[in-house]
Amino acid sequence: MTATATPRTPATPAAMPRHTGRFAGLLDVAAPRSTVLMIVGGVLTLVGAYLPWATFVLNEGPYPEKATLNFFVAPFGVTGFRLHLVILGLAAIVVAALRRIPARHRIVRGLGIGVTVVALINGLWITVEGGGLGAITASEGSIAFGSIVALVGGLVTVLGASAGGLERKPVWTWKLPWWVEWVLLVVLFVIVLLLVAAVLTSGGQGGVVNPYAGVVFLSLLAALGGAFAALNASGLLTWVSVVSERHRTFSVIVLLIVALLLPLTSAGTEYWMTVASNIGVYAATAIGLNIVVGLAGLLDLGYVAFLGIGAFVAANLSGAAASQIGIHLPFVLVMIISSVVAGMFGAIVGSPTLRVRGDYLAIVTLAFGEIFVRSAQNNIGGLTGGANAIPNIPAVGVGDFKFSDSIMIGSLRLPSGVLYYFLIVLLVAGVMLVFAHLKYSRLGRAWIAIREDEDAARAMGIRTGPIKILAFLIGAMLAGLAGAFFAHKTAVVAYDSFRFLESVTLLAAVILGGMGTIPGAVLGASILFVLPEKLREFSDYRLLLFGLALVLIMRFRPQGIVPDRHRKAELTDPDVEDVAKEGPGPLPTRVEP
Amino acid sequence: MHAVEETPRLSTFLSQIANGLVLGSLIALIALGYTMVYGIITLINFAHGEIFMVGAYGGLATLTYILPTAIATTWYFALPIALVAGALVAMLIAVAMERFAYRPLRNAPRLAPLITALGVSVALQEAMRVFYPGATAALPFPNLFVEGAVVIPIGDGVVIRYVGILLVVMSLVLAFGLERFIERTRLGRAMRATSQDRDVARLMGIDPDRVIVLTFAIGGALAGVAGVLYGSYLNNINIDMGFQNGIFAFTAAVLGGIGNIRGAVVGGLMIGLVKALAGQYMPGGTAYDYVWIFVVLIAVLVFRPQGFFGESERVRA
Amino acid sequence: MAFLSVRDLVVAYGAIQAVRGVTFDVEQGQIVSLIGSNGAGKTTTLRTLSGLLRPVSGTIEFDGTPIQKMPAHEILSRGMAHSPEGRRLFARMSVEENLRLGAYTRKDEAGIAQDMQRVYDLFPVLGERRTNKAGLFSGGEQQMLAIGRALMSRPKLLMLDEPSMGLSPIMTQRIFDTVRELRDEGTTVLLVEQNALAALALSDKAYVIDLGRTTLSGTGAELLADPRVQEAYLGENVGT
Repeated sequence: MTATATPRTPATPAAMPRHTGRFAGLLDVAAPRSTVLMIVGGVLTLVGAYLPWATFVLNEGPYPEKATLNFFVAPFGVTGFRLHLVILGLAAIVVAALRRIPARHRIVRGLGIGVTVVALINGLWITVEGGGLGAITASEGSIAFGSIVALVGGLVTVLGASAGGLERKPVWTWKLPWWVEWVLLVVLFVIVLLLVAAVLTSGGQGGVVNPYAGVVFLSLLAALGGAFAALNASGLLTWVSVVSERHRTFSVIVLLIVALLLPLTSAGTEYWMTVASNIGVYAATAIGLNIVVGLAGLLDLGYVAFLGIGAFVAANLSGAAASQIGIHLPFVLVMIISSVVAGMFGAIVGSPTLRVRGDYLAIVTLAFGEIFVRSAQNNIGGLTGGANAIPNIPAVGVGDFKFSDSIMIGSLRLPSGVLYYFLIVLLVAGVMLVFAHLKYSRLGRAWIAIREDEDAARAMGIRTGPIKILAFLIGAMLAGLAGAFFAHKTAVVAYDSFRFLESVTLLAAVILGGMGTIPGAVLGASILFVLPEKLREFSDYRLLLFGLALVLIMRFRPQGIVPDRHRKAELTDPDVEDVAKEGPGPLPTRVEP
Repeated sequence: MHAVEETPRLSTFLSQIANGLVLGSLIALIALGYTMVYGIITLINFAHGEIFMVGAYGGLATLTYILPTAIATTWYFALPIALVAGALVAMLIAVAMERFAYRPLRNAPRLAPLITALGVSVALQEAMRVFYPGATAALPFPNLFVEGAVVIPIGDGVVIRYVGILLVVMSLVLAFGLERFIERTRLGRAMRATSQDRDVARLMGIDPDRVIVLTFAIGGALAGVAGVLYGSYLNNINIDMGFQNGIFAFTAAVLGGIGNIRGAVVGGLMIGLVKALAGQYMPGGTAYDYVWIFVVLIAVLVFRPQGFFGESERVRA
Repeated sequence: MAFLSVRDLVVAYGAIQAVRGVTFDVEQGQIVSLIGSNGAGKTTTLRTLSGLLRPVSGTIEFDGTPIQKMPAHEILSRGMAHSPEGRRLFARMSVEENLRLGAYTRKDEAGIAQDMQRVYDLFPVLGERRTNKAGLFSGGEQQMLAIGRALMSRPKLLMLDEPSMGLSPIMTQRIFDTVRELRDEGTTVLLVEQNALAALALSDKAYVIDLGRTTLSGTGAELLADPRVQEAYLGENVGT
């Protein structure tokens, strides 16, 4: 007998963690020096941040015509991404040095990944836009390898942290006096608000005006992502979410108020209010879709049609010159009618679920979506304006007062569009409320039962047919509501806002964020509708990257950014199948005693 | 009734039938790929329509950038070369897609590969738009076959172009060949075995990964041929052609009973006829022909999801 | 060194360990059976041996080569054939096609034809209905076809999972007679059975698997006489 079973001695606390996978050898070598490596990585990051970087001085156009390539050599004038690197690097050194911090390797790994990505983004940007590697290495006597040093620093940090063995995320059970927790929550939410405003406005508007907005934005996102990963690893985020769960109502109210305060931050311009309102429309729609897909588990590939139906109904009842029906109803009534009409169509589209399941159902919904787009394109019944769209939809207003106007509160002037922003925040809040109530109601439990196992649900006495149609109906009503808002906000409704690709994008928003969760849908919608706004200089590649991103998400994080805790999930690997994998894949994870 | 009025009507009808059959055999060729892949791994490979589109561009690229003009304009050289090139390009993309997008999800729940397929579809379409020179607009595609047409002297004359006849004949020949391959050969038997019971196929010494790659390769090659024939028949191609015809082909595959080769062909021909006749005779005309196909699709999925030739045990819906 | 030697095999479905330490040897030319109650891990063991599952730990050596990391098709071409639980025929294919699939890895047409004839000699009913679809056969006939299909790869080691499942006592006897015949012709057989009485009577050597572990071993006769085996596994089987 040559080979025997590998000894599976229980790991003593002092034992070095054993590594498996592609970099096992490297990690084993690095393991005894993990702390040193983490600190060295942090120091390298700091050094990298203070070294000269080739970067652009943005005058009023792209390099090389309007912008100049400039070398920062001034030692302490760090701003922007270099400031982020300094913060991440310092944090890594401190955490690495304090051995008492639980899960410090995991925290430092998050920071290191952040550093790596920031260095990579900026380094790539400089090389690609600034004339190749020459832009990094030398020009006019200065040597600008800041990005390389920072990149190495980030990688060394990650190596050290991974080699040290990743600990389990600690769980904190601190309980503070209620008022301290309230204050804490308020402070945290305000910080979140400021961060959101910073992310939204970072790099300024994209497009011709500021072609580098995208990179500045991505770099900030990477830095925040690193910090977020570190906080998450420390267990503090989980603790905060437990605290906010404890003061649920309070948190919700503060969050709503904080959202309404966005116009007072740096994002308080007409442009950003419009962007934020559009995100709101898609977030509300995505939450509606989340009922159908996330809760009831019915894949809908034509969902955007309901947004379209809501928008066209509203457009026809708005008194716009191009509308067939020459009546002008009050906005509240219009919203209700749009919602009801969309809901009726939802029930029709949902009715095949009585007979069709799974991916065949997805195709049926796709077919309905295509029928809608085709009909709208052909100006069916004169209701959609066809290729001419329905333009000049009047703004929502009371008497002479228009929602599109800017308003004065005391001496404070709020930009125009702010009222629409308030309206959509309230709308999204309302939609969230509906979703949350449904999720934890009898109906919600029935949907989840159907999602997990339809036959079992039926055997338990759930009348699956009507309940599935109800999911479509309610989801469609929410989308119709958002559609009515959309029509008035954008003032034009055209069929090509409601194509298949929009349905896929909404679906992607739900999946990216995390199916079945509210923050997930909002986060997903925000990401998918902010990114194209920000990455105008990559607009040619936008959809290409979007498609690839979908593939990568399904491969690496099918449960989304905010996974549903209660969800056994259609999208996570079913345990039992794991062992059945064939081919020279890695062995199933060893179960340590 | 006056014969004078009847014959033009008849010729219109026959012309539409001919158009429908040509379009239908094209759709059938694409539908074969859908039906084979679904038969083996029960995946609606959404991106299959894009494989068809990529095949067309592969053929066009060969004609435009690789072949010398003298050869590219001589049909008996250009046609086979372009067909093979289109088939190869489409096959490569299809195999790469299986390897990198679908295989890692082999044991994942069913929603994941479907969404991946959507992602691949968008990515392929966009990759073509961004990287193929001039693909932001429709590109002209030469007729690779003999110009001219058969005219059947009824009424105003029923015109059937030679290239249309080529399309129908090639589709039928390829579908027939595929069926023989699956029914008669060792590899074909392995494909059927894998589709019926993947684990037991492994016990027979069949490597399912290789069978699945083979399935994608064959489906891809057929779609590539379809792409080149499409360009040759309609004389222009665009990056949207994949999505639309892909959906038609999927409808055809379902109509004929998914997993069934003959069914895919019959389904394809039926879809072609529906589109041509609905465009002529249904209210709304050609603007709505597309809608009628979707109506058919919904009706089939709701009322006869196993299709017209499908064995009911196959139905997963 | 035994022909097939399994050491400390551990197999898990996700977090659940179905096999937690199975060790046994199979000598060439013998019938060895694994017996045990439902859910003991017998089928999981067999599926791991044939490469359908990956062990978490442990080794499997066949004919001197470790095979625990090989894909199923390589294990088959090394001479191990597995006739799965529940027979799992290709129901929509003919007898002949099922047998041809059994010989999938072979290219020698003459040898295949010869072996097919051998299967038809062994089970004449298959020969008479060779173009019929496998799904139309009775349970016993399907079991014959399943064994025949496994034989078509000319295995050195034939693994049979519950060949008697759902069969009448007469048919079971018929199948087990065939298994003995195959052994006498030189094929080594690894048998997994719940019908312990019949299996032990047939076996040169047997192992008891309980809760995922091999607990007892001995010759078929020894285990038949063992009071622990009698109590646990033979009690309810006596008389069936």
